Amino acid sequence: MEGLFYAWQAVTSMPVLLAAIGGVTWGILGGALPGISPSIAMALLLPFTYNLPPLVAVVLLASVYVGAEYGGSIPAILIRTPGTNSAAATVIDGYEMQLQGRGGEALGLSLVGGTIGGLFGLILLSTLTEPLASLALYFTPPAYFALGILGISIIGSLSEGALLKGLIAGVIGMMIATVGTDPISGVSRFTFGKPELLEGIHFILVMLGIFAVAELMAQAGEDRWTEGSQPKASNARLKLPSLATLWRLRTAQAIGCVLGAIEGAIPGGGGSVAAFLSYNEARRWSKEPEKFGKGSEEGVIAPETANNVVSATAIVPTLSFGIPGSNSTAILLGGFLIHGLQPGPLLFTTNPEIVYGLFGGLFTANIMMFLLGIVILGPCIWLVKRPKPYLMAAIFGLVVSGVYSIDHSLFDLAVVLMAGLVGFVMRKLGFPTLPLILGLVLGYMIESNYRRSLLITNGDHIVFLQDGVSLGLLLCAALIIGFSALREIRRLREPLVLPEAPDQGSKSGPASISS
Amino acid sequence: MRLTQIKTAFCIGFAAVSMMAQPALAAEYPHKTVKLVTHSSPGGGTDVFLRELIKHLSPIMGVTFVVENVRGGAGAKAMASVAGSPADGSVFYGTTPSYINTSILSKPDKTYEDMDPVVNMFQDPQIVFVRADSPYKTLKDVVEDAKKRPNQVRVGVSTPGSLDRQIMEQLKAETATEMTIITHDGGGDVMLSVLNGTSNVGIGEIAELRGQIDAKKIRLITTYTEQRLPQFADVPTAKEQGMNLVVRKFRGIAGPKGLPREVIAAWQDAAQKVLQEPKFKAVYEKDALIPAYMDHETYKKFLADFAQGQKTFFTKYNITTE
Repeated sequence: MEGLFYAWQAVTSMPVLLAAIGGVTWGILGGALPGISPSIAMALLLPFTYNLPPLVAVVLLASVYVGAEYGGSIPAILIRTPGTNSAAATVIDGYEMQLQGRGGEALGLSLVGGTIGGLFGLILLSTLTEPLASLALYFTPPAYFALGILGISIIGSLSEGALLKGLIAGVIGMMIATVGTDPISGVSRFTFGKPELLEGIHFILVMLGIFAVAELMAQAGEDRWTEGSQPKASNARLKLPSLATLWRLRTAQAIGCVLGAIEGAIPGGGGSVAAFLSYNEARRWSKEPEKFGKGSEEGVIAPETANNVVSATAIVPTLSFGIPGSNSTAILLGGFLIHGLQPGPLLFTTNPEIVYGLFGGLFTANIMMFLLGIVILGPCIWLVKRPKPYLMAAIFGLVVSGVYSIDHSLFDLAVVLMAGLVGFVMRKLGFPTLPLILGLVLGYMIESNYRRSLLITNGDHIVFLQDGVSLGLLLCAALIIGFSALREIRRLREPLVLPEAPDQGSKSGPASISS
Repeated sequence: MRLTQIKTAFCIGFAAVSMMAQPALAAEYPHKTVKLVTHSSPGGGTDVFLRELIKHLSPIMGVTFVVENVRGGAGAKAMASVAGSPADGSVFYGTTPSYINTSILSKPDKTYEDMDPVVNMFQDPQIVFVRADSPYKTLKDVVEDAKKRPNQVRVGVSTPGSLDRQIMEQLKAETATEMTIITHDGGGDVMLSVLNGTSNVGIGEIAELRGQIDAKKIRLITTYTEQRLPQFADVPTAKEQGMNLVVRKFRGIAGPKGLPREVIAAWQDAAQKVLQEPKFKAVYEKDALIPAYMDHETYKKFLADFAQGQKTFFTKYNITTE
């Protein structure tokens, strides 16, 4: 009850309110700009927080995080450019909806899903911090490995119709993830003496290349591209989902909430893993799985709910262990430390006004996110209705300047352009690109924890079966792989049974290019 | 663009604050504004440290400090930025062992050898810890257990190239024991690893461990320092237990090559003063940093010696092919 009092105090205090509004606005803008990840948006603000009162400072930073996790979905839906890592899963169905002229609907879904996710995460954060914190302790190296494998097992369903090509793309992604310092021995791998490669290749660079740059190349390569498919999208207006729609999509949202909560609470999972896992689970539990990849509402709301739940629950390990699970929470931790606040189990008793004040501030931030979203989305939709040549030039400029602003590095730019080329060639050859992204995101987690696990037992693989969490996750992964394989076999047999309809089967392959 | 604007804004803001705090006896330092470059991102360990330092150093030197975060290339970009700056006392670098390590491991264009060490200020104590319910009371217990059960004791250390992995490898070699050393992505992960029992023993720094120490979830068993830490007087050093192991994790200042003598003198003077400053003392003692002032010449020798040690370690564990 004392906590509620502090939270209420924070909600009604002017500076905290302003910090929440300012933080969310900045976060949405930062998240929407390609290249500016949540952590960079937070880092840019951090110097301003040094002279602020501690509570205002941490609310400001946490609000940026909330806003940015949402903001990333705007360009993902409108221009196939994930503004943040965790918006990559939203691209799949969000952009498809935009192409069908339902972009406004998709934006509404992501806004409402994000707000619901954020508030749900906040409730968990403020009521269940301790049980959630202990969740992190169950995740030992074998469990992380199994989690990665579970994530990777989605490849089968992400690359429907081209399983082999999907697997190849996944392996390429995992190979890219091996660049950099070896996680166990410290040897430099595939760095060719370049210090830029010591820390590996950042996901966001590859994502921007593969999604945004490749899309621009593909569009510019179409005949009469200046007339393109834009008119279809031009009747799009922001359309918030009705309560009936939300009720219809309840399974997808629930999946996003649960997976987001778990992923946020364990360090190393993060928004992108949560988003991909929820996308896939939403599809598995959906009544209309065939719609996924072709503009499914559930395919937008599930990952967007998940990554906003993460923005709240990711604060759990930061508050209770002082361990940041991601770059963004590392900066939040910095915000605490600069003000002499020591996150840890005792923070709740030594500085309850900060902890509960932060929860109050986050509540305001989530409500504000919803309102600001409605205000901001109108102009965003107007922007993408401009004539295509201008739009495409602007997108390219935005991507390039966004990437350069991260670290002022031309090397990073080269990576984006290379990834763009690779993505373009993959599209032309009918390779699904999502498995590559997934392999890249999960490769490091899988590899480092696989090797760490084997260190524990001096090389005995039994370790993966001894650990309860690991065993459970691996069984799930085995089931998923089994089902995908079964479906693939059935699909291959189908033409034999129904020889009359071969043309449909060949066209419904790796779709998105044709539209 | 945005970054520079923010930097400028920050700089102006800071100038206003420090001008108020500045005592009348403004020293004759040749510059009004001095830039401290770090490879650490905002909010990272070295960044937080430098920003605390300048609060106290500014009135002593009569200079406005600006911290600039030059990230990327594991510190290579920050080094290039400092080494390429004019050697007139306007730009410096906040040193940590990682700048030597990156120099050796990735051989960037500009290395630590292209910079002039100015002064050293601190040593960060590395401390061995266990979960509160662990049977180990000292490092000796760990070693004895490892002798009884070779390869069964698991030691959590941070990154593979870190000083804490190095000291644990040295411990193995010195005591002729077989322990499993598990590397992690950072200090926070080591703590979780110890808390959930993946590692039996961990190694870390007070600043990271403080929250769990206060909550009595972990227990410190040994420090790798010359003397016991005054804040944790009941924790023995490794030396007391007959193992001659001390970690030399330094924090200091370096600048471009060819700094004027009076600039170095000004820093040597100011560094000694700031370490005595009571307010600063309260801050660094809380994190159990050990003041370890070294003047220009001593620091130079120390770093050369340190780099040699790192090269040997990296070669021995195949981290670099040289």
